[in-house]
Amino acid sequence: MSLLKLEGVTKRFGGLVAVDHVDLVVEHGELLGIVGPNGSGKTTLYNLISGVYRCDEGKIFFEEQEITSLPPYTRAHIGIGRSFQIPRPFGSATVRENVAIGAMFGRMIGKVGEREALEMADHYLSLLGLYDKRHKVSNSLTPVEKKLMEIARALAMKPKLLLMDEAMAGMNPKDIDGMVALIKKIGEQEKIAIVSMVEHVMRALVNFAERVMVMHQGKKLVDAPTQKALNDPRVIEVYLGRPTLEGRDAEGN
Amino acid sequence: MILRKYSSFIITLAIFAVLLLIGLLRPTMWQPVALIMFYIAMGQAFNIFLGMTGYVNFGYVAFLAIGSYGMALGISRFYHTGIGLWLIPLGFTLAALMAGLLSVLVGGIALRLRGAYFAIATIGVNEGLKYLIEGAKFWGGSEGIIISKPMRVTFGRHLANSLSTFWADIFLFAIAVLAAYLTFRFMHSRVGYALTAVREDEDAAKVMGVNATKYKLIAFIVSSCVAGLIGATTWCLKSTYVFPEDVFEVSYTVEAIVIVMLGGSGTLLGPIIGGLIYGICKYWLAVLLPGLQLLILAPLIIVIIVAFPGGIVGVIREKTRGTAFDQVIV
Repeated sequence: MSLLKLEGVTKRFGGLVAVDHVDLVVEHGELLGIVGPNGSGKTTLYNLISGVYRCDEGKIFFEEQEITSLPPYTRAHIGIGRSFQIPRPFGSATVRENVAIGAMFGRMIGKVGEREALEMADHYLSLLGLYDKRHKVSNSLTPVEKKLMEIARALAMKPKLLLMDEAMAGMNPKDIDGMVALIKKIGEQEKIAIVSMVEHVMRALVNFAERVMVMHQGKKLVDAPTQKALNDPRVIEVYLGRPTLEGRDAEGN
Repeated sequence: MILRKYSSFIITLAIFAVLLLIGLLRPTMWQPVALIMFYIAMGQAFNIFLGMTGYVNFGYVAFLAIGSYGMALGISRFYHTGIGLWLIPLGFTLAALMAGLLSVLVGGIALRLRGAYFAIATIGVNEGLKYLIEGAKFWGGSEGIIISKPMRVTFGRHLANSLSTFWADIFLFAIAVLAAYLTFRFMHSRVGYALTAVREDEDAAKVMGVNATKYKLIAFIVSSCVAGLIGATTWCLKSTYVFPEDVFEVSYTVEAIVIVMLGGSGTLLGPIIGGLIYGICKYWLAVLLPGLQLLILAPLIIVIIVAFPGGIVGVIREKTRGTAFDQVIV
């Protein structure tokens, strides 16, 4: 039984087809990377999976159950967690409260009281090294700390599927290696399938993902094991341009 | 620790107790105290929704008005059933129920709208309801409902008199305590967490699993029911009549906004400090400089709001953040 299945998912904004008939299967506990240049439809795809947008065409299944028209909060309750590319902290609340909100209203909604939620928040904050800052107002964190808090908040939701959006952007290579190891470890322990979306930080991707989906102009270009996908000539072309074309330009055609 | 958690609630009760004592010990002060308490309670009920969600309900006064009609209908339609003093709880129940029903109707539709669109959608509620009552001529139409006679018949002249001059204000104190308690409970419960998330970032809150519309509706209904109770006691029991022209008066909504903004929205003490300052200013300016009170009050409020954008309590909180005092005044 697959965890997440997309069938021909399409989203249009006026004349622009942001996501164009994408099929995708994510298995339980899998580590998937999604790569693509700016504007290739990655974030829109995330918004479709987490329910921020509705699909214009296609269907989404989560554990065999169709969720195409479910609102985002119901998707959170059944186990879809998410962090945002640009951190979206609940600014006036403390770091601890932010993470507790994830614990309280995520997959454990109704099963976790406020005190337990705060304890869960402390647990995930100490895992991500933010325990000392837990009583700070979340708006006062640095951008990288905000990203870490977002991951803690998403993890506290106890998701079965965690969607991470450029979580490593802005970190230095050493921190990235540490983060990748940490997130992999947490994902393994809690049996979370993690989908990580990356635009430029390939270092994180190579260490992290077992499989990579490459997107280009809203379409799925390649879906293969990591090394194979990144060495695919079509992927190189998307990122670096077509060598033959430049050759021809140089000749003056 | 426990004491610190409850400190703002204890301060609130202390303020109410002092006001009550002043009113009881100096009979001439009873009416000014009642007026100040009305502004405090009105601000509190408004704050349950505005403070928790960041949404402005421009139809707010309609919920006080419908509450006053609840009490008026309870007394005028049921006084001959001979239930005696039970008329009062019946009136309050009707007031809360009718305000609650109206809030479900208005909120169920308007709360699907965001921010300013919600505010625009609620503007019409007040005027619409007023013209409906006047035009369709139900509940006495534009002549309103006068309850002084049914009250005299049921309770006798003496009790009817003390109900409207004394007990109505005592009920107002009780409602203010209830409003403070509800605000306090909300702030320290999952509803409070949910609404904090919604206020800060509604889309992110939904992705985190918060059913935004549901929690906004809860706050809206509670705010409206308390408003209904305030209307029932101050605009019906105290005045012994309800006229649509008087109760559907939009300036009360504006006053509620001013009180909450002045004191600090989203805090327990905010509307209490705001109501206290606004009530005292309005009363004493009317005594000292009759006719000029609004001319002086308006610039004063502008100055305070410009100087303290988060309200008085909000600014004090900001200045003391991280110190022991911070927790005391939430």
